[in-house]
Amino acid sequence: MTRPTAQVSAAGRGAAAPEGVWPWLRRRAADWAPAVVLLGICVALAVLNPAFMEPRNLVRVANSAAIPLILAIGATFIIAMGSIDLSVEGVMSLGTMIVAMLAANDANANDFGWWAPLLAVLAASALGAVNGVVHVGLRIPSFMATLGIWFVGRGIANTALGGSAVRVMDPSIRDLALHRMFGMPFAVWIAIACFLCALGVERLTRFGRYVFAIGGGEDIAELSGIAVRRVRVMAFTLAGFFYGIAAVLAAAQLGQSNAVIADGRLFMTVTAVVVGGTALTGGEGGVLNTLIGVLIVGVLANGMVLLGVSPYVHQAVQGLMIIGAVALSTRRSRLQFVK
Amino acid sequence: MTTIASRMAGAAWLRAASPVLLLVVLVVGIGSAAPGFMRLETLGLLLSDTAVLFVMAAGLTFVIMVGGIDLSVQAVASLASVVVAQWLPVLGYAAFPAAILAGLAVGLLSGFVHVRFRIPSFVATLATGGVVAGLALLASHGQTVTILEAGRAQARWVSGSLLGVPDLILIGALVAVGGLIVQRFTPFGRYSAAIGAGEPAAWASGIRVERTKIVAFGISGGLAALAGVLLAARLSSGSPTLANEMLLPAIAAVVVGGTAITGGVGSVARTIVGALIVSIVRIGMTFLNVNIFAQQIVFGAALVLAVAITIDRTKIPIVK
Repeated sequence: MTRPTAQVSAAGRGAAAPEGVWPWLRRRAADWAPAVVLLGICVALAVLNPAFMEPRNLVRVANSAAIPLILAIGATFIIAMGSIDLSVEGVMSLGTMIVAMLAANDANANDFGWWAPLLAVLAASALGAVNGVVHVGLRIPSFMATLGIWFVGRGIANTALGGSAVRVMDPSIRDLALHRMFGMPFAVWIAIACFLCALGVERLTRFGRYVFAIGGGEDIAELSGIAVRRVRVMAFTLAGFFYGIAAVLAAAQLGQSNAVIADGRLFMTVTAVVVGGTALTGGEGGVLNTLIGVLIVGVLANGMVLLGVSPYVHQAVQGLMIIGAVALSTRRSRLQFVK
Repeated sequence: MTTIASRMAGAAWLRAASPVLLLVVLVVGIGSAAPGFMRLETLGLLLSDTAVLFVMAAGLTFVIMVGGIDLSVQAVASLASVVVAQWLPVLGYAAFPAAILAGLAVGLLSGFVHVRFRIPSFVATLATGGVVAGLALLASHGQTVTILEAGRAQARWVSGSLLGVPDLILIGALVAVGGLIVQRFTPFGRYSAAIGAGEPAAWASGIRVERTKIVAFGISGGLAALAGVLLAARLSSGSPTLANEMLLPAIAAVVVGGTAITGGVGSVARTIVGALIVSIVRIGMTFLNVNIFAQQIVFGAALVLAVAITIDRTKIPIVK
């Protein structure tokens, strides 16, 4: 189905080309802006501090981008529907808590080995599904439903942890993030695998197309026979699944679970998705955009460290980046009223 | 027709009255289960606790009335606490208005970003909240700033009491009266309700929608900062994470009180009831030995439930 349409649009584009390269370029400029920005930042950093281009530093950038990428991939499907998921930190706290409490740890006698990460991902997916069911079933806006679930997840995690940090003692679980393969930490490879899976889901499955159809215009999607409510619940479940994987990696990377392990993740996730060019109004962007967005945020963070800027400034810069990116990507003619 | 109309009026009345009923039931229930609860000191403490939460929630009420949301209130309150703690030795009493003005400025900025760039308010305030949290961390180097002996004397207007009534309660009452007057008797208050009830209609009748919204966010920022100042004076310290657990209870107080998240319906008076309910539920859970962390689960679930009950679904044909 998709292939002929692609050819038609390519042909259409070819036919339009003689009319002028500039209009076409300008139309495409918005799509390429995030990639150009990323390239610009990389070049600038390489000039300002040659240490940026050292392989050791690039590995560091990749490693620190792994968990944000997986979180942001999950959130991409939600934002592409025109919804929002504020529960990132809650779901992630729950996941890391389960990994730490079920694997060999210093708080109890459990040692369930590989069941621990598996159950963590399962529980995170379940909480994601709860997000979707509450949002669709009670018909309340997603930002409110997920705001509530954010604190439910955090509450469960903190209650189980009792306010203390629990260390993960199982070396094979810690290796999930730390073991190196071809010079890269395993966490990076898992993130790449997640990215490819998500790209496949987005481009090659009916579900992926439906998500963007709903984001583009929910009434039309509904009239075309898409089971909108089911797709919404599925998307929130999928998002929970990715948060769960990120949670396992966070627990493995830091070797513990504590009350603040997920703090600041929501902010970073939304920044990355939006900076990558996925519009908050839904229907545009995708996981490829999100990859670029995560790299922009990650490279910038790394660059600030290299240039000796206070890490606190970085959070403020991220906030400004959200505003700038959303302001640029919103097609104002489309919305009369914004709440 | 009349029966339908009267039944609808009855339903609306019940919806408005149910938070008050819930509050009465909670007070009577806890009062009979734990007789110590009805003692004057306990009630004074409860009301002082509620006052800080109420001040923040009262500001949020204005934003929610116009159909928006402000997720930056906790960051603003924390920043205000840092500003007060750091500047009291330098500026003296002027540090208090300085902190509140800073909050007001952030609120106005959030409103401006929201309406000018047409960014949904929850994202705009998430972003400004991030900027503000960064500023607070930067200003305090990520540490708690203690208010010293001299500063504590200057903060007595918050921590002291007048004729046996804790000042915090009086401040909360002042904010309540001020908020009610602004909502009932000023054009701004009427415009806010009109915008929340139906933005296109409000816009078409010549209401300056953008300006009204920006003012609403300004009030939210200013009152959030006041809440931060009260908190700092009470705890004799400021910190970039001081108010971090306040966002959820504040939103819960507004919504549980009966202000609809869709805007147009609600008032600061309802938020008083909502804030009292939140405080009493919290104290009640402590009486029942519910783990302090587990209380978050209850509040999260209660928030979702309250939103589901109060929301006006005719206003949002597509729930995103």
